[in-house]
Amino acid sequence: MRQLSKSKELWIFIILIVLSALISARSSVFLRPDNLIDLLKNNAVLGIMALGMTLIIITGGIDVSVGAVVAVLTVIIGKFMVTLGGNLFLVFLVAVGSGVLLGLFNGALIAFANIPPIVVTLGSMSIINGLMLYYTNGAWISNIPSWFIDFGQITLFKFTDTAGNTVGVPIQIFIFLAMVLLTWALLKYTLVGRAVYAIGGNLVSARRVGINIARTLIFVYAYMGFLAGVAAVTHTSIMRQVDPNAFLGFELQVIAAVVLGGASLTGGTGSIIGTVFGVLFMAVLNNGLILTHIPTFWQKIIVGLIIILAVSFDVLQRKRMEKSLPKIDVEN
Amino acid sequence: MSRTSKERVLLYVFVGLFALMSLISPNKFLSPGNLQSMATQLPELGLISLGMMVVILTGGIDLSITYTAALSGIVGALVLSAGYTGGAGEAAAGLLIMKALLAILVTAGLCGSLNGFLVSYVGVSPILVTLGTMTLFEGISLWLTKGGAVSGFPEEFQWIGNGYVGFVPVPILIFAVFAVITAILLERTPWGRSVYMFGCNPVATYFSGINTKKTVMWVYLYAALLAAAAAIIMISRYNSAKVDYGSSYLLQSVAIVVLGGTDIAGGYGKVVGTVIAVGIIQVLSSGLNLIGINRFIVDVTMGALLIGVLLLNYFIGKGSLGKGVKKDAQKANTAL
Repeated sequence: MRQLSKSKELWIFIILIVLSALISARSSVFLRPDNLIDLLKNNAVLGIMALGMTLIIITGGIDVSVGAVVAVLTVIIGKFMVTLGGNLFLVFLVAVGSGVLLGLFNGALIAFANIPPIVVTLGSMSIINGLMLYYTNGAWISNIPSWFIDFGQITLFKFTDTAGNTVGVPIQIFIFLAMVLLTWALLKYTLVGRAVYAIGGNLVSARRVGINIARTLIFVYAYMGFLAGVAAVTHTSIMRQVDPNAFLGFELQVIAAVVLGGASLTGGTGSIIGTVFGVLFMAVLNNGLILTHIPTFWQKIIVGLIIILAVSFDVLQRKRMEKSLPKIDVEN
Repeated sequence: MSRTSKERVLLYVFVGLFALMSLISPNKFLSPGNLQSMATQLPELGLISLGMMVVILTGGIDLSITYTAALSGIVGALVLSAGYTGGAGEAAAGLLIMKALLAILVTAGLCGSLNGFLVSYVGVSPILVTLGTMTLFEGISLWLTKGGAVSGFPEEFQWIGNGYVGFVPVPILIFAVFAVITAILLERTPWGRSVYMFGCNPVATYFSGINTKKTVMWVYLYAALLAAAAAIIMISRYNSAKVDYGSSYLLQSVAIVVLGGTDIAGGYGKVVGTVIAVGIIQVLSSGLNLIGINRFIVDVTMGALLIGVLLLNYFIGKGSLGKGVKKDAQKANTAL
């Protein structure tokens, strides 16, 4: 099993390398540092969200409310900054705090009332979206204070590239990297991280080992809310304005990135490194299509085909492996 | 037999809401114009919800259903607008419409077969397959239309979406026909029985000698057929076809199916329940709109209703624990 999940990540990595090679052969811009940095910056939000979704999918759940949650969080911090001012720390606190509260709401319903995650998050999605659009009427918030805009323009490690432009790594990429490290360490080295895998792998065994299922599930959805808060701050710092409709349909992009990264929706498998590759794949594909002047609808067709091929290949491989094992008992 | 009462409770809710709305604004809500517009709006979402329900009965889900509808509608629209030259005779228009309807059915059939093949014969989990095909169908639709709308249909075609038989709108008649067909197929045929059995326990169904692969294959094909019917009404009503027509129906249809009493894990669900649930949503959104409540609040009400109904189900289910039903057994298991 371990070998298999490793090879899954290897596959998406190979596809990513091949794709990058193809694009750089057609466009000299692709490998330029400023393009790669822009690519990472523009996908930092998707990446941060995908990390949280990975945890949820490993437990065998799903969260379709993430688009609505991150949208409402951008509205909350936008309103907060415009009406009350505050400082960066407070903005982070408000975003993350509200995100965790929304996550707790989802998590509690899933863990205690035993309602399937897709239904709970469907319900909370339409409640959150409805309330947000009722409150804002879809209007943009554009007069974000300058101190926040300055924060979004911070770059580190400035260097001069071959063309003579000064390039720096934007703060958003560091936020993404920090979240990757945090989530990776959480999954690998903490008790709750191991519990996440255990629940997704086999719920009954996990319970018998003494894992607190409800607490773990609530933690996972709350953590998704936490990351949505971080993503909301990151998004606003890039866009410098708030559009309540910016995240329509975003949840499916997040799920697609996680699935491309090798997490299985039946739970138990998936990894942070795989998800990072999945996000990078979507980012490179989108960027490459623009650079090579191929219409962007090809992105949908290619992503769709790759999801279908990847998951079919995975299942066929597993079937072949199972056939070669002696069968002892019938499932269930 | 507490299970049959699920649909009865829904019916009471529907009647209660209808009565409430009629009382609040009798002149507007009960006006023929409003009733007719409700009957014209409901069928698209209703047909897609029926398709979603059949898939959910097997324990699956079809995320690609709205893009199946969009794609087949676009193909039909392309056939219609390519063959339409303006003042052609009625016979020519009739032939063209027949060709377009065929194109829609074939496209939807192909989409459904792809889903069905991957789910049943390859064995990939439905949510993954349809996530992939959803993206794929959306991409193909965008490729065909370049993001714009396809229009320019013969006038005769508009009758399907906007016409009346007597005072009854045509779409609601189409919906009624498909609802009856679905109910008969599910409740009166061997295929229908095997759909429910598969949803309860796929392994046991397989060992009782049923060709489960074929059953599941037909489930996705039938869902695509219902999506095609929705597509026909949709492009006729808007007199054009576009990628994002109906894309908001996806999560709504899942919500309606669950609200209608269908078990999201499969094995239980009735056409009557889904039809009443569609009615409830339509009465709610039209009624609240008429009395001037913001449409976003309607979304909030829908979400709250969905979670509320399931919470209610949970507490009722807790009261009747251990009645030997599959779900209860599972609950007892989790309570360990």
